Amino acid sequence: MRYYKELLKRLGREPTPVEKEAFAVMWSEHCGYSHTKKYIEKLPKVGLGGNAGVVALDEDTSIVFKIESHNHPSAIEPYNGAATGVGGIIRDVLAMGARPTAILDSLHFHRVIDGIIEGIADYGNSIGVPTVGGELRISERYRYNPLVNVMAVGTAKNEMIVPSKASRAGQVIVVFGGATGRDGIHGASFASEDLTGEKATKLAIQVGDPFAEKLLIEAFLEMVREGLVEGAQDLGAGGILSATSELASKSGLGVQVHLERVHLREPDMQPWEILLSESQERMAVVTSKENAKKILEIAKKYMLYGDVVAELIDEKVFRAFYKDELVMEVPIDILTTPPYEEPLNYVPGEMPDFNELDFSYTDATQVYEQYDHMVGTDTVIPPGFGSAVMRVKTGKFYALSIHSRADLTLQDPYWGTYITVVESVRKILAAGGQPLGITDCINYGDPDVAPAGLAAIMYALKDSAEHFELPVVSGNASLYNTYAAKPIPPTMVIGMVGRVEKVVKPKKGKVYLAGWHGFDLKREELLHKAIMKARESGAFVLTPSNFKALVTYEKSFARYGMKLKVKEIEGEPVHQMVLVFGKDNLGIPMQEIGVLR
Amino acid sequence: MKAAVVVYPGSNCDRDTYHALKLTGFDVDYAYFFDQDLSFEGYDLVVLPGGFSYGDYLRPGAVAARENISRKVKEFAENGGLLLGICNGFQVLMEMGLLPGALLQNEKGKFICRWVDLVVEDNTTPFTLAFKKGEKIRLPIAHGFGRYVKVGEPRVVFRYRENVNGSDEKIAGVASESGNILGLMPHPERASEEILGGEDGRKVFLSIAEYLESRGAEK
Repeated sequence: MRYYKELLKRLGREPTPVEKEAFAVMWSEHCGYSHTKKYIEKLPKVGLGGNAGVVALDEDTSIVFKIESHNHPSAIEPYNGAATGVGGIIRDVLAMGARPTAILDSLHFHRVIDGIIEGIADYGNSIGVPTVGGELRISERYRYNPLVNVMAVGTAKNEMIVPSKASRAGQVIVVFGGATGRDGIHGASFASEDLTGEKATKLAIQVGDPFAEKLLIEAFLEMVREGLVEGAQDLGAGGILSATSELASKSGLGVQVHLERVHLREPDMQPWEILLSESQERMAVVTSKENAKKILEIAKKYMLYGDVVAELIDEKVFRAFYKDELVMEVPIDILTTPPYEEPLNYVPGEMPDFNELDFSYTDATQVYEQYDHMVGTDTVIPPGFGSAVMRVKTGKFYALSIHSRADLTLQDPYWGTYITVVESVRKILAAGGQPLGITDCINYGDPDVAPAGLAAIMYALKDSAEHFELPVVSGNASLYNTYAAKPIPPTMVIGMVGRVEKVVKPKKGKVYLAGWHGFDLKREELLHKAIMKARESGAFVLTPSNFKALVTYEKSFARYGMKLKVKEIEGEPVHQMVLVFGKDNLGIPMQEIGVLR
Repeated sequence: MKAAVVVYPGSNCDRDTYHALKLTGFDVDYAYFFDQDLSFEGYDLVVLPGGFSYGDYLRPGAVAARENISRKVKEFAENGGLLLGICNGFQVLMEMGLLPGALLQNEKGKFICRWVDLVVEDNTTPFTLAFKKGEKIRLPIAHGFGRYVKVGEPRVVFRYRENVNGSDEKIAGVASESGNILGLMPHPERASEEILGGEDGRKVFLSIAEYLESRGAEK
């Protein structure tokens, strides 16, 4: 175990076998963010923080969103790996008190992997959350490490937002949802190492049950509406151990867990297995002793298991019992503050001349047609047109995008990341949105072998977010995406949310190419103003990264009975050109390029 | 005009259907699977919405068709109540034996979500009065098991204009002989507002309203 010496030092003694297992999970890269924590501290942020980020859509409604990766599981077991990736991130949004309203996914493959697509589709379709957008990038470089990043979005009335922590001793923690089994034990540690590592077996993969997730969503939202939820955290990596210890330690409290009270799928499970199980579709709710009974009644009504498994205490320890036997006792702060790696300083160089690499863009309609993108009846601009636009039935709208440029980050991690943020802002503006916040997912190789690349990405995220005055409200890091020590291209996926005042749909007519063939950061503001001007005048705008890859747009227009015909467009790998429909005078260079019929 | 939208544990179009019915002027209630005293007395319309009723790990709708709610749904329809099954609701009606035929996995084995072109074959049912016969309409579909297989000669109400899932004779929706039960795979509730891309689906709900008003006037 990494950091074993540090553990000995902090504990002041040898850890017991159970403690070794517990710290292996809690101090894993996946749970502990050891390599990114110090960089994350420097990012511009807003609000409370918690399971997922929160921005205000208006004075009544908040948007909650976050991206998460499920790369390692999807490589070993495509269907369940991808499915549980959806389930996990949905619960992060749910735990904030928000109803999940949209899913977007960013997929990097060496070819379209049906098992992964079906895993996402079956899970998302079943729980009734539309998959409204995504990106699909094909490159041989992802052959052994496919990337599956899923962004979940939800909306909540402001007063319903639930904190991700407990608040006082005497509160109790109810764990409810599906039953607890042996699946996913050490999923977090497995996700923190090379794919040829010893933990890379199917036993580390969780198995999804979307039917239970659907019930969990409705049950939890009812508990929130009834005012019974004082704090919440979903059970993901590290299971009961991680959820209960984090809920407690964030408020300077301790916790006592009673493992025999957890409802088991496999009755012969060992106490440490119960503690670490990563069985899906479970949620930890902080409530008062009085309200716990009502919570359990609601869980039962929705055919879910539920038990009061822990109580918050003043003493700052994590203590786990099985019946009367003490399974583990450690100071809680040691458990929840993993060691971190010292950050590097990074000074960006000049932006290089980027080359065109072997990343291709396939027709994504074949993928998004397998996703229910309309359930919820709030999808106003469907997948296939850059950003998706969603409505809240109170008459408000918001735009969502997910975007990456691994072809650039591979050549220059700093500028590649910076441009990913620049292009994401363009995408949101093109959908009529005013950007509100960023969520990010770093997919990286081995940070111990190549620490500078990670530093470059994190500095670029900070610099670009500050440039556009955008908070980074949530994020996720997936490191050790290597196979036999060979890394993936550094792949920074940016999710963005914007507030939309006016919805514009595509209309038939002339199509114009606006902007410049090359890239100059100082000019970007002019392009942004032109996009906004076009939108205000009611013109539809698209912002392709690569003009050789208009196939998804063409197929998507065809689905709506329209035909896009444009001349071949030459552009640099990084350019400042957009497609404007039906408006030709935006004050920047423009030329007629084709027609939408 | 009182409508009930049945909520099975895995329903996921219940809230959408509720919203569309409200827009059309119905008084709407949910009929929850956990409600022990569930009754459809006093309702004009019962809708079985889309989703995955009981997880559908067996056969879509198979479990739902064999539990308590369906007994009451059946009773309601036998007494002449209007019963509408959309997508998974259609699958449940079929499993209950209230409509003829079967719904199998799509020809290509994949879930399909997109807008499709349809034609209204029968505008004499309470659900299609507001359409013209032969009217061409567009509605979204979203299903993995929507391939209609014919048994006997069903009363065809909607037909796809092109082959989308391998259904026999491109059948998309059928009614009972008496006309008070309609099942269809496309989602009218998703096409009830212009901002969502079309309003053809709203006409299904308007038809029901029109039918109920005229029946009310007769009484």
